[in-house]
Amino acid sequence: MELIQQYSTIFHIILVILAVLTICCLIRAVKGPSIADRLVAVNMMGTIVMSVIAVLALLIDEDYLVDICLIYAMISFLAVVVLTKVYTGVYIEHRAHQEEKRKQREAEEEKTAEEKGKECHGV
Amino acid sequence: MVFEWIRFIAGTGLLVIGVAAFLLEILGVFKFRYVLNRMHAAAMGDTLGIGAVLAGLMILFGFRFVTFKLALVLVFLWCASPVSSHLISRLECTINEDLEKSCEIETKKKRQE
Amino acid sequence: MSRRIPENEYGKRPMGAFRQWMEGSRDPYAGNVEVRAHDMPGESEEQLKKYQEEVFTVLRKAQDTANNNQYTLFRKFYRVAALLCCLTLTLLLFITVAYLPPVGNAGNPANNEVAAKYIEDGMQDTGAVNIVTGMILDYRAFDTFGESNVLFIATCTVLILMRNDKKKGKGSAEEEERRDSFHEPKNDRILQTVAMVLVPFIILFGIYVILNGHLSPGGGFSGGAIIGAGLILYLNAFGFEKTERFFTAKTYKWISFLALSFYCIAKSYSFYTGAHHLESGIPLGTPGDILSSGLILPLNICVGLVVACTMYAFFALFRKGGF
Repeated sequence: MELIQQYSTIFHIILVILAVLTICCLIRAVKGPSIADRLVAVNMMGTIVMSVIAVLALLIDEDYLVDICLIYAMISFLAVVVLTKVYTGVYIEHRAHQEEKRKQREAEEEKTAEEKGKECHGV
Repeated sequence: MVFEWIRFIAGTGLLVIGVAAFLLEILGVFKFRYVLNRMHAAAMGDTLGIGAVLAGLMILFGFRFVTFKLALVLVFLWCASPVSSHLISRLECTINEDLEKSCEIETKKKRQE
Repeated sequence: MSRRIPENEYGKRPMGAFRQWMEGSRDPYAGNVEVRAHDMPGESEEQLKKYQEEVFTVLRKAQDTANNNQYTLFRKFYRVAALLCCLTLTLLLFITVAYLPPVGNAGNPANNEVAAKYIEDGMQDTGAVNIVTGMILDYRAFDTFGESNVLFIATCTVLILMRNDKKKGKGSAEEEERRDSFHEPKNDRILQTVAMVLVPFIILFGIYVILNGHLSPGGGFSGGAIIGAGLILYLNAFGFEKTERFFTAKTYKWISFLALSFYCIAKSYSFYTGAHHLESGIPLGTPGDILSSGLILPLNICVGLVVACTMYAFFALFRKGGF
């Protein structure tokens, strides 16, 4: 334990590196062109933050921070589950709505084309 | 005394390996061009990265109650992370309209026969 | 409602009438205060034209705001009065703020001896190793009672706004949910298998955090949130029918009511007695044990139950409009 306190600079450097990685994940979350990109980036951020909390628990020698690690894992998993379900539902509903409108429009165009054809024949 | 040094070096070594895995993960996420490829890189951090970090920390803490808690965190994450990847990839395959451009699709032809 | 008297006879008595009004099956205003339709004009053309002219004149005069003196005057007066009201309120608040003492002054009420006493005598008086839990559930238990009530009120508000009461048929809660989540992926085998293993573990961890409120950081609020998260995961993996086997509206009502009334009976005397402390019969025990610190453990459990029910209730109300 004393060695850890003596050479605590290493752990400070590791913490700084992990913090910089978190910011890079954020850049990916903002840039990513699709929804799945952003979900993956947020999940990654959660994992990196979990390791930051665990290293911090070692540095300040407090045991209860590891509980927070576990809670983080649970919450990020739950977030992915709910978000994918909702996004898939919204997308498929949107597509079904568009299909309906397209079919309606095509049916109307067919009807006008029929009537024009009848007129031509009538004349 | 030597035992302390061995423990310190082993723990810190595993910790550094874990951080290196996280660095490679970020590199991969920025270099690849498609989501499903980036997920391969992201999964590396979820398994190897956090595994090495938590194993190193377990060695550094010694034999206390916290060690069991860290093992529990690891087991939970290893159970939950593949399910997250499965759900995200299913989302991507449902939503993406130009899926044929990005990856090969194998349809099950046996059902039509 | 009454076994001996038929329903309509019972409804004529005052007690029966009151009970029917509470239930909603009797409207005291029906037949009394109703708008009766005007007699429509007859079949002839003249009467119809005259009626139409009258309607148009009324509408034109009512919507002619530019020439309506009363209306323009009121608008000007309204703007000036609103501005004056806001300025008065701002001025009053500034005057009140000017009476506050400067920040960091040694004689401020915020720098009195209360904080030092809590830190020094906290563990002895309350028996809790975690001083923060000792403060919020022993020294200041009445404030935490207010917080739990705020959670309950929030759920009531969301219920008022979002609840769909119809059980079956068109426009009911079930049908809305089926329509909303028609396209969503359901019954994913992988998620169900993993949820079967993880949900008991999450709920167990939540119970651990609640029970350890007085020994390590945690307590009722965070533990309750974790249990709520576990229930939400179960709901997402398995659907509403399976969850309603063990968590219905009745369950929610009874859990919230029992938890809040236990807290009320235990600690609401503070409203009348102020800082005087009534001894509960539970002994303080040795600090560091699970069964120590008197009444803090049961109160933690109550708060945790209320928070868990609130989390799940919010999610279910926003998804489905009911439990």
